[in-house]
Amino acid sequence: MIRSQRVAWAVALVVASLAGGARADDGAPADSALRRYLGGLSDSTDTYFGRSAAPLDTAGLDSALAFGLAHPGHRVGRRQLGFELIPTFRFNRADGPVYGGTVGVGSAPDAGSVTGRASYAVGQRDWIGGASYDKSLTRGDAMWKLDVSGGRRTQIIDRESSDKTLASVRALLSGSDSRHYMREAGFTVSLERETAVWRAKAGFADEVQKPLSTTTTWSLMGNRADPEFNLGARHGRMRELSYEVGVQLPVVPVFLQTEYQTAGDAIGSDFEYRRYRVTASGDWSTGPSVSIVPQVTYGRLTGEAIPQAAFYLGGSHTLRSVVGSSMGGTGLTLARVDLIGHDDVLALLHVPHPDAFPIHLGAFAATGATWGVDPYGGPTVPGIDWPNREDWLHEAGVQVLYRPGIPETDGYVRISYAQPLGPTDRGGRWSFTYTRALDLVDRIAR
Amino acid sequence: MALLITLALTVLAGAPSPSPTLAVEDTMHTSVPEVLVHAPRVTLDEILDRVARGEARRDSVLEDQAFTFTLRVVGNIQSRKEPLLLLENVRRVYRKRPDKVRAVMLREYRYKEKGRASMQADFSSNMSEEVVNFAFRPEARRDYRYHIEDRSIVGDHVIYQIVFEPRSLLAFDKPRGRVWVDTNDFVIVREELDFEHSPAPLILKDIDRMVIEREQIDGYWVLRRVLIRMRMTIPFPTIGRAFDLTLMYDDYALNKGIDDTVFSGASVVEGR
Repeated sequence: MIRSQRVAWAVALVVASLAGGARADDGAPADSALRRYLGGLSDSTDTYFGRSAAPLDTAGLDSALAFGLAHPGHRVGRRQLGFELIPTFRFNRADGPVYGGTVGVGSAPDAGSVTGRASYAVGQRDWIGGASYDKSLTRGDAMWKLDVSGGRRTQIIDRESSDKTLASVRALLSGSDSRHYMREAGFTVSLERETAVWRAKAGFADEVQKPLSTTTTWSLMGNRADPEFNLGARHGRMRELSYEVGVQLPVVPVFLQTEYQTAGDAIGSDFEYRRYRVTASGDWSTGPSVSIVPQVTYGRLTGEAIPQAAFYLGGSHTLRSVVGSSMGGTGLTLARVDLIGHDDVLALLHVPHPDAFPIHLGAFAATGATWGVDPYGGPTVPGIDWPNREDWLHEAGVQVLYRPGIPETDGYVRISYAQPLGPTDRGGRWSFTYTRALDLVDRIAR
Repeated sequence: MALLITLALTVLAGAPSPSPTLAVEDTMHTSVPEVLVHAPRVTLDEILDRVARGEARRDSVLEDQAFTFTLRVVGNIQSRKEPLLLLENVRRVYRKRPDKVRAVMLREYRYKEKGRASMQADFSSNMSEEVVNFAFRPEARRDYRYHIEDRSIVGDHVIYQIVFEPRSLLAFDKPRGRVWVDTNDFVIVREELDFEHSPAPLILKDIDRMVIEREQIDGYWVLRRVLIRMRMTIPFPTIGRAFDLTLMYDDYALNKGIDDTVFSGASVVEGR
């Protein structure tokens, strides 16, 4: 009996104490607990970051705020409107050395930015340059981009060509540059809307296109330019409407992109053509260290088969066993799969190396073909919507990859060896290129 | 036991208690049979849906906000030298729906006043705090994998820790991380991020740690601070091999009805 009474008292006291404790925290007991919980995590963050996490010194802020509110429009000064001058240098066999500079003005979010370019092409003895204006605007979940550009410039004839910067370096060092160039003078304007899932772009171009001849055959290593000739563009006024839509497909990690360009007499163009290209690029990961990147593309040109609207095969963005853009036609089809390793092989092999240079391994296999009118003047390859079986080229290869992360996070410097497959007299080919992992599409950048 | 008896006598005697005291029971032991719970557990997909809705609700209830924003860069981190304050910008930011924003510069400090290095933060009228919930927006679900790492009870809050990582190994600009979700509001209250591979290996060795904290002000969850420690592959003058980037959000005023005159005639960023 005595024992049971003692227990009852004890229970009563414990309950009373707990109830009292709850009353003592009245107000927001649970929120206080959460605050303490988050505060504990925050304290460890303070300890880790030290001075960087120190509270703000508020001395003088009230008077600065009073001044700022009383003087609307008072700007911070030179930092409000960005200004930068960047010297530039390019080299190709058509222009020779091109010395110039870029002036950028304006980076305020409400103003857009204006960029001016001016340079002198020594080989052509010609000034080229112009100005561009671009502005981005976020409305809801979408970003709008406006680009307006005008002036004179040197353009690569193969529209899908990439790797422009490294091509210039290769041309200067060894004379190896398989791209062909033309002069454009006029203006372009484009408007793009981009969401997290899709983007659409419409543009208009009004430009006079002229052929350029080779003016410079030297290189720093003493080799002559290879190839030495520069494919001539058809001279005329090009007025073109262009449309582009890109969609990240649901469920599967595939980005689908379609492009369509049309030029014709109805909009005052000297050229009459329709050009479209459909591309799908996938991105699968197998385990923690390998990406599989399959890409397929199909393009067709109808109307006038001018070189500057043709499709080209060869080089880093198509078949690496074929010299860059050395084959062309009014139709293009390509399928390629890349395996990209993400482990740093030097680290795996315990080879000391700087942190800045992780090296990866990769492999690839591809097949592709062009058909139709040859922009180089060769015989027309048979086929209307699809190439003949014997016109397909196949290859497989391996590559050593380095990803600098600049200027694009998924851009790789690649040293590739591509071996042609099937009955062919082509030999294996080494190449040194820079391309993005999914180089046939422009994925959504956000 | 002696403590319990003492406390019981104190209560019986009616003596005033200075403060509530929690007694420790060490004589009673009991056990209850296991109960099989048949109620379905909330699935990860449902939690993710609720987080997306919770974040959208958090955004929708904010009509205007004002806060003091600090951008701070501290160099010489993890070196033998003392950490060095390189830059500190302080602004008072005003935002109001649908599209009004004004940032008044309150302080601008640079270690080398004539140096070229500068950094600015741009503000929009958007109050959705994408820096916190970027991986939990409906459109981001296809880009990330998620799993529940832990659940804990804090007061009457159930806190979920959810870990996420990009599905693509090629998404070098997408971080992986862990969020703490308060399931009372289904709002993210804390986040820690890192990158499996450096976004820019040429100059950036790694992001050693990135922490995003929120706090509850007047019932609304808002950003409190973002702290990032970056380690470089090579030492930079003044900065050193590692530096911290800190964004702090203080002195909030939420839904106080900012007068439109605050925004009239003002550029987005101004000050002295």
